[in-house]
Amino acid sequence: MKALSYLIFTQIKNRILSLKKKPALLIFYIIIFLFVIGSIVTLLFFGKAQESKPNADDRVLFLFICGFGLLYLYTFIVSGLSTGSSLFSMADVGLLFVAPISNKKILFYGLISTIGKTIFASIFIIYQIPNLKKSFDYSTIEVLGLFFIYIVMIVFCQIFSIGIYLFSNGNQARKNLVKTLLYGFFGVLAFSVYMIIQDRQVDILEAAKILVDSKWFGYAPVAGWSIMFFKGLLEGTVMQIAISLILFIGFSVLIISLLTAHDADYYEDVLYSTEKTFQMQKDYKEGRNLSGTVNRKIKIKDNENGIGKGKGASVFAYKHMLEMKRVSRFVFIDSATVFFAAGAAIAGHYIKEDVYGYIVLSVLVYLQFFTTVLGRLKIELIKPFIYLVPESSFKKLIAASFTSLIKPCIDGFIIFGAFALTGGASLPQCFLMALAYSSTGAVFVGLTIVYQRVLGGQPSKILQALISMILFIAIFTPSIAATVLVSILILPDSLKFLTLLPFVIVNYICAFIIFYSCRNLLDNTEYSEGMSLPVR
Amino acid sequence: MLVVSNVTKKYGKLVANDNVTFTAEGGEVSLLLGPNGAGKTTLIKCISGLLRFTGSIEICGYGNKTLQAKRYFGYIPEVPALYDMLTVWEHLEFIARAYSLENWEGRADQLLERFELDDKKKKLGRELSKGMQQKLSICCGILSEPKVILFDEPMVGLDPHAIKELKNLIVEQKQAGNAVLISTHMLDSVADFWDSTNIMMDGKIVDRRKRREMEAAGENLEDVFFRITKREND
Repeated sequence: MKALSYLIFTQIKNRILSLKKKPALLIFYIIIFLFVIGSIVTLLFFGKAQESKPNADDRVLFLFICGFGLLYLYTFIVSGLSTGSSLFSMADVGLLFVAPISNKKILFYGLISTIGKTIFASIFIIYQIPNLKKSFDYSTIEVLGLFFIYIVMIVFCQIFSIGIYLFSNGNQARKNLVKTLLYGFFGVLAFSVYMIIQDRQVDILEAAKILVDSKWFGYAPVAGWSIMFFKGLLEGTVMQIAISLILFIGFSVLIISLLTAHDADYYEDVLYSTEKTFQMQKDYKEGRNLSGTVNRKIKIKDNENGIGKGKGASVFAYKHMLEMKRVSRFVFIDSATVFFAAGAAIAGHYIKEDVYGYIVLSVLVYLQFFTTVLGRLKIELIKPFIYLVPESSFKKLIAASFTSLIKPCIDGFIIFGAFALTGGASLPQCFLMALAYSSTGAVFVGLTIVYQRVLGGQPSKILQALISMILFIAIFTPSIAATVLVSILILPDSLKFLTLLPFVIVNYICAFIIFYSCRNLLDNTEYSEGMSLPVR
Repeated sequence: MLVVSNVTKKYGKLVANDNVTFTAEGGEVSLLLGPNGAGKTTLIKCISGLLRFTGSIEICGYGNKTLQAKRYFGYIPEVPALYDMLTVWEHLEFIARAYSLENWEGRADQLLERFELDDKKKKLGRELSKGMQQKLSICCGILSEPKVILFDEPMVGLDPHAIKELKNLIVEQKQAGNAVLISTHMLDSVADFWDSTNIMMDGKIVDRRKRREMEAAGENLEDVFFRITKREND
């Protein structure tokens, strides 16, 4: 065990020491630490400020626990059916698995490091202490209990995923059985909610609350066990806490026993998922899993093998269209377009007030940010070709941005067309929302360019995130300010549907200014391969 | 053909290339040798116009960031950077269209055949092994018939057949009067055809040698490299 404890402590020590060379990261950790301390102080010293729980409905929190539990259960079972989960890194595979150390000890090491990482990643719950206090007036023990069961939930799901992989790997019949049980379980939950609605004449939310609060739901894997634990804590019922922990620990021990049975040769079982995880991380660093790529197998026919059009810079635009065609046969209209349009149509059916229409737009713009900023232009900027092709920087920028500029226009009109069709807003307002969506797309393309201009070659990730945030706010401030001012000061009520017009105009002006002022970007910026180190 | 004058590249306080000056003539294979972290890849990227630097770099008489210079050089990166959703053939078509090449198809076919990729024309970039990606990357870099060719560790990941073909290709480029600059650790792989060498340490060129001078003095590349890098370390 000496080597393993050495490994754990040395890694922690070196991680802390490395902060000396990364002051921005150090500041970030200090801020997190202060937040955690602040939250705990709030909990300890202001814990009894309110005598009763104001309007508290514990079932709301049960719903959240249930949501996380079901999400993790589904995700990890699906992962277990394909690759399994991994408690190890590639360095462990290369250095530990081949070392003369007991396999069981190595498994224990994997569990300990996973729990450590999970605790660190789960620290956000501590931030919620003031909210939990304000809404539910929970005590220190109760909040820490919530933190504890969240960690137990994740660690268990990882072990469970390995168990599923062990059970089903290479056996289609068993895979089908697991899938049937999984979907059957979700089906039973949905049917139960439906029955409660019918039986008690309540809405869907209330029915869900009744379900998660019911006694039998406590025996539902992961989500139910977690709720049972937390309810036991709230009600002071030791039996409930004990049953919940027995279920979590019992199943974990069972899976680990299976894993370490006989000669404990589990390496092969975790190797694939470890390699898969490593590859995903590598792909992310190299920008290979940015939006616009798919994992499914694509077969190319003879008559489909070729770009076919474009000369000089314009070939970037045609290449992007070919790549998009490989993802979706309708080129600009992909599954995201259909998904968002369906969501907008459903929202339009239930939402009839203007303000909610703007909320729908805001949510879509938020999602658009990620698909655009991590889109095709970004892929182009982390490959050398765009810098090497003998064409002017401006032409190459326009060509490489072309599809990213057109897609939001097409998406906007489809999505808000669907919103208008189901009566979410008036036709003129939906038209302006579509324009607004197109204009934010142009601004996000502009942001990608500004990020490259300002952050190209900037190795500090924290500084990158900070500058990105400032740029984002700076670029959207004029259009939002113009919208607010014009709608409050100028527009009469009869023309309120034009509220978004200043937003659209200012966004396009901003995008144009960015494009024009960064037209020489490719001559002046630094090429960096994904997130690799700049010096070799 | 390639003139690098007083090139300095800094990352914050770290000086990756320190006042580097050298030339690579047409009809010559020049080497950039040096231990890990010497600054070879950074220098190649500066020459390719991918990084900002101070100093000047001229390719066939043009500043390295001008469109004219870009037409004259080819760059084969150490890590192949291909498009996941383009096939092998489409990569070459893309280069041909981007560089506005005419009658390129025959040459593309020849290159694919030489590197045994002719049966992989319909394979997507993401479906290729590391070695195949490297071969395709070489084909892309050569297709535009550059006058100055920059190779960054070109032999890494290649199978013996591809290494042999690449060596032949380098010799052909040299015979055609083109300038070839190769950054490498693998001294054996370039021992047959190099003409001049630049040995780098800590971002500087610490020694420059011509092959004929070295041979006249009865030295060989490996001995000189180890002697110089050891001396610099001491």
